[in-house]
Amino acid sequence: MLELRAVRHRYEGRVVLDLEQFTLPRTGSVAVVGHNGAGKSTLLRLLALLEAPTEGRIIFDGTAVPRRAPASLRRRVTLVEQRPVLFRGTVRENLEYGLRLRDVGRAAVHGIIGDVVDRLGLAPLLDRRRHELSDGEVQRVAVARALVLRTDVLLLDEPASSADRAAAGALYRALALERAARPLAVCIASHQLEDAYRWADDIRSLADGRLSPVTPENLFRVDLPPGDGVKHVPVGSIAIVVMTDRSGPAVLAVPPTDIFVSRERVPSSARNVLAGRVTGLAIEHRGAGVHVRADMGGVELIAAVTADAARDLALTPGVSVVFSFKASAVRVF
Amino acid sequence: MDFLAEGLRRAWTLLVAGDSEVYGIALLTLKVAVVATAISCTAGLPLGYFLATRVFWGRRAALTVVNTALAFPTVVVGPLLYGLLSRRGPLGGLGWLYTWQAIVIGDVLLALPIAAALSAAAVQGVDPRIRRTAETLGAGPWRAAWTVAREARFALAAVITAAFGQVVAEIGAAMIVGGNIRGQTRTLTTAVALYTAQGDFGLALALGFVLVLLALIVNIALQVLQGRGNA
Repeated sequence: MLELRAVRHRYEGRVVLDLEQFTLPRTGSVAVVGHNGAGKSTLLRLLALLEAPTEGRIIFDGTAVPRRAPASLRRRVTLVEQRPVLFRGTVRENLEYGLRLRDVGRAAVHGIIGDVVDRLGLAPLLDRRRHELSDGEVQRVAVARALVLRTDVLLLDEPASSADRAAAGALYRALALERAARPLAVCIASHQLEDAYRWADDIRSLADGRLSPVTPENLFRVDLPPGDGVKHVPVGSIAIVVMTDRSGPAVLAVPPTDIFVSRERVPSSARNVLAGRVTGLAIEHRGAGVHVRADMGGVELIAAVTADAARDLALTPGVSVVFSFKASAVRVF
Repeated sequence: MDFLAEGLRRAWTLLVAGDSEVYGIALLTLKVAVVATAISCTAGLPLGYFLATRVFWGRRAALTVVNTALAFPTVVVGPLLYGLLSRRGPLGGLGWLYTWQAIVIGDVLLALPIAAALSAAAVQGVDPRIRRTAETLGAGPWRAAWTVAREARFALAAVITAAFGQVVAEIGAAMIVGGNIRGQTRTLTTAVALYTAQGDFGLALALGFVLVLLALIVNIALQVLQGRGNA
């Protein structure tokens, strides 16, 4: 439905986004992950039709969007920024803002707002003003202000960054309900993998303005066996030891920084000790860090080490290597 | 200090007695000030918003020009406008020299930079996310500008007050292009200058008090229009 083609976007001459293609399907739920400054917010601003790309085109429903997008198109997309602000006035007035722009009648406004307010638990806040709200509450109101517009595309930039766990849960449940009720394309930018994996159908990783071929490292879709405590979870030809009470479908994540790299097995408390061969090295963080990619018998794992450690261990493609990590380091989503 | 009391007493007497000349001068002053403030703010506020929110080549230079124009001396505007409006000037055909319209033009030239520069500063003081948020919710440029203006309403009201203060107290251009003609272009400031020159301090002071009273009434009206101070 919404697509960026051959987009290269610059700020003050510097390329901040360079995408050959980025597509947001009509009913898709896409998470864009990446570090701060990776280009996530810029991507969302382009998708929101608020800016035209320096080079390339934005395609909306098969038609190229003019450089100055008409209001009729812009009103089919909305964006909640990372640190949202509320306008002067009450929460209710904020929720009504976009609907009034669309000439929605008073009775309809009341109904639409009531529906979203109930889902996000905002009823007690309706008559409050922005200075009477916490950051998390402001964020929830901002999401509600976007949801009431019933746009075809909803873009959220770190929507739960200020929310507590319960509020974030309510937020994502509201999104799921909205998506179940009507065709809605959602794109969430987040640096929280947990958010991304729990709520998105598709995850794309952005690094230095480009789509990274390696989506978040060391993620495995698994079926957790029943029971509590330590579990040996099959992942391809290997098993990963995990501490969890959950069972059924889940995603395991092994943070690359939690993997201890050695050339031989060394005694330790790590329950996961996997031997394999280095398949590639990627220099990260301006040369200070190295991502070591290794094949552990058909399963690829990536570990992050310092450049000095990689040199001391003489890590080069083809050499044997051992990755160790604790069962408690494995995150379950 | 007797002349102060005398001035106040005469001002009161003139106002209570309904002196037609004083009321005529006051009304003309009010008319000129309101029209000039309206024109300069209608043009200056959008100009200030544009300068504050748009990125374009020469923006910094434009802001410098507007800020410099804040210090434009009224005695420079007067002769300049006189040259333009005089019979042989490029705008001589309008026949506006020594009319209240000429005073309005002079006042607009002086108040427009105030409206533009101060409103640019007021808009720059508003969180830039406000405009972006309005746009993300579907607002076009005008509605987004209105939303920003609502956020900056106290500062913008101060801009209008400052512009009104400039025009209501202006004398140089009013004297030169208005001519201080009795019953036609005599404003409170030119009348005060005239009666002071004639040695009638009491009447000059009385008209000065009327001027202050006028400014006070307009300021109170603006404050009422601003509404309550809710965030």
